Amino acid sequence: MTAAPPASPVLAIENYSLDYTLRQGTARVLDGVNLSIGKGEVVGLVGESGSGKSSLAWAIMRHLPRNAVEASGRLSLGRLDLRGLDAKGLQAVRGKRIGMVFQDPSTALNPTLRLGEQVIEVLMRHRGLGRAEARDAAEAALAEVELRDPAALMRRYPHEASGGEKQRVVIATAFATAPELILFDEPTTALDVITGARILELFARLRERTGVAALYISHDLGLVSRVADRVSVLRQGRIVEEGAPEAVFLDPRHDYTRRLVAAVPRPHRRLVDDAAGGDTVLAADGLSVRYGRRRLFRPPPPPATKAVSLEVRAGEILGVVGESGSGKSSLARGLTGLAEFDGGIHATGRRLDHARKMDKAYRRAVQIVFQHPDSSLNPRMRIGDILARPLKLYGGALSDIPALLEQVRLPADYARKYPHQLSGGEKQRVAIARAFAARPSLVICDEITAALDVSVQAQVIEWLLALRRQHGTAYLFITHDLNLIRQIAHRIAVMQQGELVDLRDAAAIDAPDAHPYTRALIAASPAPVG
Amino acid sequence: MTDLLRRLLRTPQGAIGSALLVLLALLCLLGPELAPRDPEAIDFLGRFRPPGAQNWLGADQLGRDVLSRLMTGARSTIPLALLATLLGTLAGAVIGTLSAYLGGRWDEAIMRNVDAVMAIPGLLLALLLVSSLGKGSLNATLAIAIAFTPGMARVTRSVALNVRAQDYVKAALARGEHASFIVLREMLPNVVGPVVVETTIRVAFAVMLFATLSFLGLGAQPPAPEWGLMVAEARRFVHQAPWIILAPALAIGVTAIAFNLLGDGLRDALNPRDER
Amino acid sequence: MSTGWLLRRLFLVAYTVLVVSVLVFAITQVLPADAAVTLLGENATPEALAAVRDRLGLNDPIWLQYWHWLTAALTGDFGHSMRTGQPVAPMMLTALSRSLLLALLSILLMLAVAVPLGLWAALRQGKAADLVTGFISYIGVSLPEFVTATLLLIVLADWLQWLPATGYVPPGEDFWDSMAHLVLPVLTVSIIMVAHVSRMVRSETIDVLHSDYIRAARLKGLAPRSVLLRHVLRNALLPVITIVALDVGYLLGGIIVVEEIFALPGIGRQLIVAITARDLPPSRPARWSWP
Repeated sequence: MTAAPPASPVLAIENYSLDYTLRQGTARVLDGVNLSIGKGEVVGLVGESGSGKSSLAWAIMRHLPRNAVEASGRLSLGRLDLRGLDAKGLQAVRGKRIGMVFQDPSTALNPTLRLGEQVIEVLMRHRGLGRAEARDAAEAALAEVELRDPAALMRRYPHEASGGEKQRVVIATAFATAPELILFDEPTTALDVITGARILELFARLRERTGVAALYISHDLGLVSRVADRVSVLRQGRIVEEGAPEAVFLDPRHDYTRRLVAAVPRPHRRLVDDAAGGDTVLAADGLSVRYGRRRLFRPPPPPATKAVSLEVRAGEILGVVGESGSGKSSLARGLTGLAEFDGGIHATGRRLDHARKMDKAYRRAVQIVFQHPDSSLNPRMRIGDILARPLKLYGGALSDIPALLEQVRLPADYARKYPHQLSGGEKQRVAIARAFAARPSLVICDEITAALDVSVQAQVIEWLLALRRQHGTAYLFITHDLNLIRQIAHRIAVMQQGELVDLRDAAAIDAPDAHPYTRALIAASPAPVG
Repeated sequence: MTDLLRRLLRTPQGAIGSALLVLLALLCLLGPELAPRDPEAIDFLGRFRPPGAQNWLGADQLGRDVLSRLMTGARSTIPLALLATLLGTLAGAVIGTLSAYLGGRWDEAIMRNVDAVMAIPGLLLALLLVSSLGKGSLNATLAIAIAFTPGMARVTRSVALNVRAQDYVKAALARGEHASFIVLREMLPNVVGPVVVETTIRVAFAVMLFATLSFLGLGAQPPAPEWGLMVAEARRFVHQAPWIILAPALAIGVTAIAFNLLGDGLRDALNPRDER
Repeated sequence: MSTGWLLRRLFLVAYTVLVVSVLVFAITQVLPADAAVTLLGENATPEALAAVRDRLGLNDPIWLQYWHWLTAALTGDFGHSMRTGQPVAPMMLTALSRSLLLALLSILLMLAVAVPLGLWAALRQGKAADLVTGFISYIGVSLPEFVTATLLLIVLADWLQWLPATGYVPPGEDFWDSMAHLVLPVLTVSIIMVAHVSRMVRSETIDVLHSDYIRAARLKGLAPRSVLLRHVLRNALLPVITIVALDVGYLLGGIIVVEEIFALPGIGRQLIVAITARDLPPSRPARWSWP
């Protein structure tokens, strides 16, 4: 595919600029954006948070918030000027000529209407069908997206369908009117890795069949590179680079793109090349973690993990991978005494069979960092006070605080600040510094980069590895990102529905004798192009 | 603290509410001193005098100056309502936080009982309590405090549960911090904010409830210049001298509005996230 | 909706009723001063007092008193008024029916006004209409019933003379006159509920309007009317039932005050009369008879 923009594009954005009026002044969200999509082309738009990528989608659909001011530029669908449309004109375009697939299917569907209804109403509106014909057409549309038994699904409500099924319904709705262009706004981000991969495959097949043009918006450069014909990289409202995926990936010209590409996890690019130590730092022995307190009149919930046994050696990075509901976070909670468990934990020379037995020595040796930086720091405590706690508990002087901050590359005067004055990445660094204040033997990282941008994630991983080199700490690294863990882990544990189904060396993760679920996960997380 | 004050005054509700509250506080503290006339002074010649130069808000059925009675009455109406709310909040907060901390079966059992008590409407419960304890301002205060307790227990529990679910509390638990540290230093500072907002709004309701009880003859007793009582006494003279009833009625309304506004302003001010 | 769930809910309702009965019993029977003294006066002889106490079952252990009280109440026997000596139950029933009429009319009026008002304010969020209704609602919520009632009395009954001020006329007697007498009380109770409920409807509807699925519906190009009716209303009106249910408790309190002000012989008025006279029947109701 050539990298030159097409001659008569389906969508043409010319020199488009958008401002938001805020209390503090005007913020420029999009600045002179140029983008075009030709017939049957898929253009990927990659940007991190704050890049303005979602705003561009809303601008195209003409659904901007009240404080948005369009400073300049043209938005054209074929020959139609989108900015000049009135309400009636918009209704004729939306859903009919431009379709949209949203990020979270759970919130994009009306919870009080049956799924079938939500497809039928679009068909009745845009294809002028009668009710009975629309029902048949809806059933056909759902069959197109490879749903088994569309008729039964149409009678169900959204909460009775899975995430994957719901997203297929949303996709079917978008395709059913045979639009010229479909906007995809992070369609797989809210889904499990495997489900997301299937959706992408579906999209590829549908695209071949219908030849629809698409704008695929995502923060995931690796994912977009497999899906798009051309890629545009958006940074703080400006397009800094565009071209064919291979070109952008293998030979990025702009500095930002280079950093972004470097930050994308690639399974075969190891960042850790030493071997793990000898002694076992922590061993779980038939650990079944129980979630939820017992309530009146209700039977107790089933255990979240079923008799998991694993061990972490000194200085080792043990990855724990699984989808949501696999029990990996429950494992972390059990190991830190936040949830009750059956079974045993061997650490600090003792065997613990109950959270109450976790003494100070254990607490010092095993630390945890949580996923959401916003909620893991007490909003009413200063950073200095937050870091002082582990020092007070485990021995250490308050004068160590600047050194702790220095370790995660934060200036010493941050100690006086409050959490809401820091960015997400900075807060996560403080959380890591807090964990290391105890000089632990093992740090449990519970999806600590899931809520972060890719470039920030790369930095955090860098610091984690630097800290490990400095202190010899072991990590229990929990994540759903298989590519990421393959870069850093010595061994990888795979969990599925509460059970530990596979535990092997990272190098051997794609061996033929791996568990079928492991192989399914690997297939769903392909290495990015290049 | 000053930072909070500044943010509070920046919102229109906070500014107006605070201003009104300062005025009311002044009335409570200095009302009797600032009143132009003796609120108890009976003047048969001046009965039902309409508002004018002699009596700015008119005179009542016994010739007493309405304005003076109003200003003195602030002290009879507002502080006790405030006390009732604080007592109810304290009792409710203890129950609510305890329930949230215990969790599980205990939490559910306690809350089911709280819900059952809440099934009795506030006024009705207060009425029943006053009927048993006897009429009078202090009994009315106690009755209102008891009537508020289950509601405040619910609110504090819900806030406490929300805070308990935050990761920083989990981090503290994982560190092996003592329960007292977690409750006092990690949870409490984050619970206080929303509870204060709720309490402020409840004071408005307490003022109304207290006035209602007095109106029904079960709260403050004559000749106290309590505003609800003033409305009750003036009912008979609505036709000939509406100002006797209007002044205290509007005073009650303004007080309730003041606390409501302040509560709304506090809610916005305590949300620190719109800073950046 | 399994049977297990239903049974749990029914049990909770029964438990709530039980707790309420214990509470009411405790407050009305256990706390007050000696019922015998109330009955016979301060100067009665100790023997007479003892005899009355025995008759009333006041010497029984508390749980026995509660049991008698509960079983009697469940069979419809609520004892006799200590003042008039008449059985309480039939009086209560008539009074209750009048209060229910008032309550019903108030709820109907409230629903008819509050729901559309809340929806309208939500659709015009931030505009003049919304701010004005918000302002009025704010004031409505901040005025106790007796204040609203008084203001309405002054304006509608006194100055404009459109309606009778107080009193009650049974619907059977003269329908229109009866309704005329009910307008002010119903209006008073409804105004506060309208202020309250319309704000909640507004806030619910705003949440729905800002939700992702409404945005998705708009972006599907559906006609605005269809979006409003099928998507917005369905979701916004569902919680209204809960909101109204929560307000019913408040309604009961309002009725008490309103009946007092407008001299309506309903259950609220009975309660006030009984309380001010401290006339609460003791716990052995069935055995009591005026000497």
